[in-house]
Amino acid sequence: MLRVAVIVYLFLWGNAMADELPIGHVKNVSGDAFVTTGGKKTQAAVGSPIHQGSLLETGKKSSMGVIFKDETVMSFGADTVFTVDEYAYAPADKKFKFGSKLAKGSLNYVSGAIEKLKPDAVTVGTPTGVIGVRGTQFLLKVEK
Amino acid sequence: MRRLLSHRTMTATHPLAYCAGVIATLALLGGCAPNYYVQRGACPVPCEEAPKSYVVLLPSPDGTVGEVVVKGDKGEKSLIKAGQAASLDGLALQVDDKQIKEDFGKAMAALPTIPVRFVLSFASGITLSAESAALLPKIVAEAKARAAVDVTVTGHTDTLQSAEYNEQLGLRRANRVAELLREQGLKANSLTIESHGERNLLVPTPDNTYKPKNRRVEISVR
Repeated sequence: MLRVAVIVYLFLWGNAMADELPIGHVKNVSGDAFVTTGGKKTQAAVGSPIHQGSLLETGKKSSMGVIFKDETVMSFGADTVFTVDEYAYAPADKKFKFGSKLAKGSLNYVSGAIEKLKPDAVTVGTPTGVIGVRGTQFLLKVEK
Repeated sequence: MRRLLSHRTMTATHPLAYCAGVIATLALLGGCAPNYYVQRGACPVPCEEAPKSYVVLLPSPDGTVGEVVVKGDKGEKSLIKAGQAASLDGLALQVDDKQIKEDFGKAMAALPTIPVRFVLSFASGITLSAESAALLPKIVAEAKARAAVDVTVTGHTDTLQSAEYNEQLGLRRANRVAELLREQGLKANSLTIESHGERNLLVPTPDNTYKPKNRRVEISVR
């Protein structure tokens, strides 16, 4: 019985992964950077895919640049931990959402299409609060 | 020992009074107002040191300035002017360029090339207008200038015909443009071809409306 349950689980998991297209890609890496998706941590390289739920990290003296499907551009300085919690960019279905979190480190953010199509759809969480973004560029630093 | 301590307490009243005076003066000058932080290291008396976690608003690459709203446990601060900053607990903050460079130099240097978007129009059916066809080499060049470029080609229609027909027409338009881009030498990390049919109008119209502006293919190069 247990074996059956495990097989069913794997089947569903496999489907979920195959159905989900990347929401963004890594564009540059300097030093050590990682992308963790579905519990699997891989060294980030130019072209690495990012999915909803991905955890992005940079090490000491490292940096990484990424671009999302809606043309939101981000770059991270050293010792950064950033997660994409929620991402939806489906203009024909009017679905827009970008919820992320900067746990620590530094971020340079340039707005994409989501917040132009739906103001209030973009938030960046921090350990002490939340930032709402409307069509701009900003710098954000979280130091513990 | 006890005597020495009490003596210290006595003599301490004078510097304390002096310090209070300095704080009052600075408050008058606006240097140490209670509802915002001053720059790190710029506080001459024991007022609250500026926090190390903060946000700074910058203009977008196209020159426009939007808005960032910071909500923290000390309040809510809206930033609407380039250069304005706030601590993450929600108070206004002054940060100089040197500090910004020190804190963000590495991240700013890693910012990828900003994406570009093209809108192509059609002469008829799935045939591009002459002006749009002439844009194809520029689109390929923009793609070539980017590392691991991702390209999305999205077909759109106006509201003439049925929704189902327009989904297909949008896809045919997108496929045709993708084919032309490949012929011109487009190479991409990922190429997405999709149709929004009549569900994403550039110019809103009622159903069954002829509108050439809505018959288009949008290309995102990023």
